[in-house]
Amino acid sequence: MAARRHCNRVYVPDSGFVVDYLDLIDAVQSVADGVLFGATYALLGIGFTLIFGVMHKINLSFAAASIGAAYVSLLILAGFKAPAILVFLTAALAGGVIGALVYLVGFKFIPLANPLATLMSTVGLLLLIDEIIVHSTDGVPLNYPALFSDVIIPAGPFNIRGDLVFVFVLGCVCMAVLLTLLYRTKLGLATRAVSQQPVASQLCGISITRVNLLTFVITGMVGGIAGAMTGAAIGMLSPLLSLPLTVKGLIVTVIGGLGSIPGAIIAGLVVGGLENFFQFFRGVTERDLYIMLLLFAFLVFKPGGLFATSAGRD
Amino acid sequence: MLELHRLTKHFGGVRAVDGVDLIVNPGEVLGLIGPNGSGKSTTVNLICGLFPLTSGLIMFKGEDISALPPHERVTRGIARTFQNIRLFGQLTVWQNLWVAQNSAEQRRQNPVRRWFGGGGSAREDIGRTLEFFDLAHKRDELAGNLAFGEQRRLEFARAFAAKPVLLLLDEPAAGMNAEEIDQLDARIRTLRDTGMAILLIEHHVELVMSVADRIAVLNFGQKIAEGSPAEVQNNPLVREAYLGTATAA
Amino acid sequence: MDFYLGLAQIIGVHTLLGLSAYCVLLTGQVSLAQAGFFAIGAYVAGMLTVLAGWSLVPALLISALVSGAVACAVGFPALRVKGLMLVVATTAFGEAVRLFFFNFTYQIQAGNLKLGPHGGEGFRQIRYFPENGWSTLDVVIFIWIVVALVMAALWWLDRSRAGAVLRAVGEDELAAQSSGINITAVKVSAMTIGGLIAGIGGGIFAHYTTHIEHIQFGVVLATFAIAYPILGGLSNVFGTLLAVIFIQGFLIEGLRFMGDWRNLLFGGLIVLAMNIRPRGLLDAGTTRALKRLFSSGKEPSGA
Repeated sequence: MAARRHCNRVYVPDSGFVVDYLDLIDAVQSVADGVLFGATYALLGIGFTLIFGVMHKINLSFAAASIGAAYVSLLILAGFKAPAILVFLTAALAGGVIGALVYLVGFKFIPLANPLATLMSTVGLLLLIDEIIVHSTDGVPLNYPALFSDVIIPAGPFNIRGDLVFVFVLGCVCMAVLLTLLYRTKLGLATRAVSQQPVASQLCGISITRVNLLTFVITGMVGGIAGAMTGAAIGMLSPLLSLPLTVKGLIVTVIGGLGSIPGAIIAGLVVGGLENFFQFFRGVTERDLYIMLLLFAFLVFKPGGLFATSAGRD
Repeated sequence: MLELHRLTKHFGGVRAVDGVDLIVNPGEVLGLIGPNGSGKSTTVNLICGLFPLTSGLIMFKGEDISALPPHERVTRGIARTFQNIRLFGQLTVWQNLWVAQNSAEQRRQNPVRRWFGGGGSAREDIGRTLEFFDLAHKRDELAGNLAFGEQRRLEFARAFAAKPVLLLLDEPAAGMNAEEIDQLDARIRTLRDTGMAILLIEHHVELVMSVADRIAVLNFGQKIAEGSPAEVQNNPLVREAYLGTATAA
Repeated sequence: MDFYLGLAQIIGVHTLLGLSAYCVLLTGQVSLAQAGFFAIGAYVAGMLTVLAGWSLVPALLISALVSGAVACAVGFPALRVKGLMLVVATTAFGEAVRLFFFNFTYQIQAGNLKLGPHGGEGFRQIRYFPENGWSTLDVVIFIWIVVALVMAALWWLDRSRAGAVLRAVGEDELAAQSSGINITAVKVSAMTIGGLIAGIGGGIFAHYTTHIEHIQFGVVLATFAIAYPILGGLSNVFGTLLAVIFIQGFLIEGLRFMGDWRNLLFGGLIVLAMNIRPRGLLDAGTTRALKRLFSSGKEPSGA
């Protein structure tokens, strides 16, 4: 229960829900928890970065779609009393399907020359997904199954939370699979070709529509897992999560360097850790303020991010 | 008027422009030719300041302009056209010229009138420019809706609207038909006779040979020849660069 | 009747917010910082009338200037980046402003009341209108006079060389630079004008709602700010007004009878609108057609 309270405070910054943090051993413990949870930010950042890399477009509905996928996975839990691991799988599948839908509705038919229109359509989708969730759950947060939430691994003076370790490990596995997919398969090669030279790849017989669609499906699956991980770490799901997660995901993308997957991973973990660091020393109301200022400083002094790639150059 | 001293630009390991010396005099058309990828467009981009130099010096009217931002070079009198047309497609023909009025003289106008007035003296100026480039009848057309040849002319006109003393034309004849090329030839001559310096990059050999007073040839980022059209035409190095070593031998 | 007056207030203030984003969008920049400028305007104007006892118009002018100055200062670093980076940078700025006011407390004792911003509880009792005997109708008239003035100013700007330059930068920065335009100066100016307008809008907003708090100025409001001009189209200022009426009047108020379903339709209609009219409801083609219709056969004159 302590874990759940702790996380409520972390991820719903505007709820005004403040508990004293005497139960935390010290700042290190807090930062370590943050880094572990940062794996979700890293996954979201990867999603934003991949879509931007391939299409040079921003998909603002991505985090909302991820939360939506996690909600879908709750259906299977409620329907079949499925084991938790199946719930995560469902979330990934649902994320893939939603990703494909987002591509078809929000990108496919809008001319490439109108980036503003695509941006706006993803905003519309963000609102739509949020509202579908609110509509079908009456806006009440739902409990999400956590794995290993009762496991506490003692390490010296610190206690490492089992559910966070699980989230972290799952995140790492996801990233490993994704990197293999991108750098070891033909599909990955096509994806990277499209992101670097769209016209030339088309001439080489790569269907851009198919690569784009696949990118959305893959990022959608990653997003679905990230959504489920968020739910598992916090212990609940709420449509209120989608905006803060969108902002965090974008921040991670930028700090990591647009188009850079290793950058997104590192930035995700760093942002997760810093978040808890600032929270520990400055309190929950000021925490995000420092994250925002940090990001702003980053953009001014190092606009390319940690790992600048060609995708982020313009 | 324009002097390039040991102009050099490296992109990573690629030496796009490698120690080029070049002089363009007032009232002169200098043709700059060379095979694809020889560094012609990069030279133009360096002169108008789109990339920083790796090393070297750009002197313009006796002043070192190597570190100036692009818009200030325009103010000092350097204007250009683009190889792939870059007009403001959603603005009208006349607005395209209006926004380009950025010469030092035009900048000295009363700022309120210049930015917020209805045009005034600028209007007459633009009217004359449009007449000269045979675009007066398209005045209120959106630039994006013009035919290809008209768009080329409008780009030329837009560069002219900033009252340049040095004009950089990057393949102005690309995609034009014979009649349009003749008109272009005549326009370049008229402008040269007013004392304007013109740097002409062109693949269309006839046009360059006919209009250029001098020609410089680039290959692999280096200047391999310079001289009158006839001299350059008979230069063995130039033939080699264009035709390849095997054929030349 | 009061319902419609209230709606007129909302539409007026949101039109100002949308117009502030419109200026920035003309230069091709997507700024999610407009809600931040709006917040600054709201808090500054509120503090001037409540704490310093100023009257409304000078308070609005100062709030516009403060927002404009902040926008100008933010513009220099922020506009070095483009595209997604700019979206994120401006989001971060907007959120930083919101979180600043979340933590900002400055109160004075007035009788048995404490007045002024109070952190997470917000800034209550901005009672300039009731204290000075303004009726709701007076407020509506005042708001729409301001809206009309701002729209007229922007309309005129659009017709001037400055407007053409803004659009030129929005279309092709490289070509604009090569035509002698200082694109940094142009973009920062657009941001500053946007800040001024958002400051006025925020100042008015604070006074007609009488109670502001940080949560009102979040990412959602910032998204609405850019949604109006994008949805309405960037060919002229009336597109923004049309989009505000469409969203606030039709989608939010008009569809109230649909209850819960309204919100679902809201997002869906935005997606649909962008698919059908990617250049906005009132795009250049429609504007020309309308002009032709009203000038009854005369040739439409451009420029």
